[in-house]
Amino acid sequence: MNRKKLFWMSLIVFSLLFSTGPLGWSAEPIYIAFSGPLTGNYAEYGQNWQKAINLAVGWINAAGGVNGRPLEIVYGDSKSDPKESAALAQKYTSDPKFVAEIGDFTSTACMAAQPIYDRAGMVQLSPTASHPKFAPGSIWSFGIIGTQAGEGPFMARYAVQLLGKKKIAVLYINNDWGIATKDYFIKAAKEMGAEILAVEAFFEADKDFTGVLTKLRGYKPELLYIPSMYNEMALIAKQREKLGWMDVLLMGPGSLYSPKLLEIGGPSVNGLYTSAVFFPKDPRPEVQKFVKGFEEKYKASPNMFAAIAYDGINLLTEVIRKAGTDRKAIRDELTKTKNFPGVTGKITFTERRDVIKDYRQLVIKNGEFTLYEAK
Amino acid sequence: MLILAQFINGFTQGSIYALIAIGFVIIFGTMNLVTFAHGEVYMVGAFMGFFALSLWHLPWYLALAMGMGVAWILGFLIEKIAFRPLRAAGHMPPLLITIGLSIILKDLAVILFGAENRPVPSIYGETIKIAGFQISLLQLFIIALAGLLIIVLRLLIQGTKIGRAMRATAQDHEAAYAMGVNVNRVFSISFSLASCLGGAAGVMVGVYYNAVYPVMGDTAGLKGFAACILGGLTSIPGAILGGLIIGIVENLTVQFIASGYRDIVAFLVLVIVLVIRPQGILGKKIRAV
Repeated sequence: MNRKKLFWMSLIVFSLLFSTGPLGWSAEPIYIAFSGPLTGNYAEYGQNWQKAINLAVGWINAAGGVNGRPLEIVYGDSKSDPKESAALAQKYTSDPKFVAEIGDFTSTACMAAQPIYDRAGMVQLSPTASHPKFAPGSIWSFGIIGTQAGEGPFMARYAVQLLGKKKIAVLYINNDWGIATKDYFIKAAKEMGAEILAVEAFFEADKDFTGVLTKLRGYKPELLYIPSMYNEMALIAKQREKLGWMDVLLMGPGSLYSPKLLEIGGPSVNGLYTSAVFFPKDPRPEVQKFVKGFEEKYKASPNMFAAIAYDGINLLTEVIRKAGTDRKAIRDELTKTKNFPGVTGKITFTERRDVIKDYRQLVIKNGEFTLYEAK
Repeated sequence: MLILAQFINGFTQGSIYALIAIGFVIIFGTMNLVTFAHGEVYMVGAFMGFFALSLWHLPWYLALAMGMGVAWILGFLIEKIAFRPLRAAGHMPPLLITIGLSIILKDLAVILFGAENRPVPSIYGETIKIAGFQISLLQLFIIALAGLLIIVLRLLIQGTKIGRAMRATAQDHEAAYAMGVNVNRVFSISFSLASCLGGAAGVMVGVYYNAVYPVMGDTAGLKGFAACILGGLTSIPGAILGGLIIGIVENLTVQFIASGYRDIVAFLVLVIVLVIRPQGILGKKIRAV
């Protein structure tokens, strides 16, 4: 081939490559590490995170990146297994290119990795860890979902005061999050004068709830409070229907707020009470920008988990913009966060490095989440 | 009343365990071998049932037939690939091959179907009241269906030529061979038949718990095997009894102790029975299907 022609061709190809896309950056990217469940039981949550984060990063880089440097997320799949999240933490903290970490999903997975981030001195910002002991556990840990210390009393008020149900039974998932969630709910409900008739646990892999439901039914509760994820909740709702136990209300915390619950649960989850920190019909401009962008890119509406991850990555970006890429400077700047306008509400860290959220009461009607209206 | 409800829960679960356990009994009885891929055959049957019910919207009996059919084919292939070439190699190699097959099938299912839980649509969602007591129609349906399959199996084994050949092979396959029984064919049919029952159990579990997922065969295979040992390894009535005992003990444990203890107590019962009666509840000295 003609050498001159080859030279010009390659020049054109290279100039095209460098004028658009990520190759156009001359500066070294800023790396943020991601640890979350991209496969396994919690895959839907982690994949929603990934979508929201990719959307946010796309916008950030299109607008010139962070202080002239592109932002890059390195994704690691933890399956929300504490063994995996700890291994990822080991990998991330030992690589100096990472400035901070976002993740993991369950409180258990976060708390398993926590000592590693703590020892290495790297920010661990979990979008969803709501265990009250997570954020206070290390000066490097931050939680932005709000803790059960806030949601527990909120749900108790919903059950006892709004719905007027005083006879309550609890069926919870036996992990760190489930135990904390039921404890805060029970404490608050008792203070409001409710009677807790029975408390039963199930395990993460359980699929058969007929036995435990039959047992709980014997206590004749008016309301069943179920701290769990959507998978188990859908099965519990279906199996309860099969047992013909209809004279009880089902309620669970905001972890249930996902279209998958409606898809798996079908008509069985109608009438289920839950809560949310993010509601896509919220008219605030930042919410609408996010919802529209997400719908255009993925042809699906974002859920709470996408929203909270979106807030997390935007918050980290904002902090890095102010403080630079030093791991310690990022942490110090993060603690100063005040009224950061997230799509899940304003973020202001308490001295325990978690936040107090505003919740909305929801109820499922005709296969859709709707705002609860008092009669 | 609650105890009765837990009994019915346990009976339903137990009749599904019994179907799995019978599969182990047939395989062990005729071939004198144990398979560890039985739970995965059950899982494949369950997925087939899920596809038939929720993607193709077929009626339950077609879904059941398809689940059993796929399991039959899978059983036929497993026997052909893993057992037949190694007939002379003793017990260990086929056992190890089935462990490998179990891992392969599980991972294949994760790749092909995804790791998440698949929702299976409910059938017979209603409950009926008998003497003021509410009973789920689906539970009655599952118990009846399991019973029907067991009766058909009994007729097959007692009343047909191939059933007679199976019983003869179970007693002594060399003698059966000498008498002109096509032992290879008997092995193949026995294995397929056992797998077919596993597939039926899979479809029933999918409908009962509304959940189908790739690793569902792990616990089911273990419980079915435990039921088979409890019953005496080579006795079909024993396997049924073993399955029902495990199912009922599990649900009574949930009622009287806690949900987390169900497997502990179920296996504890197994250990105690084996200590007292090492041959199992209905185990005999002479092997017979």
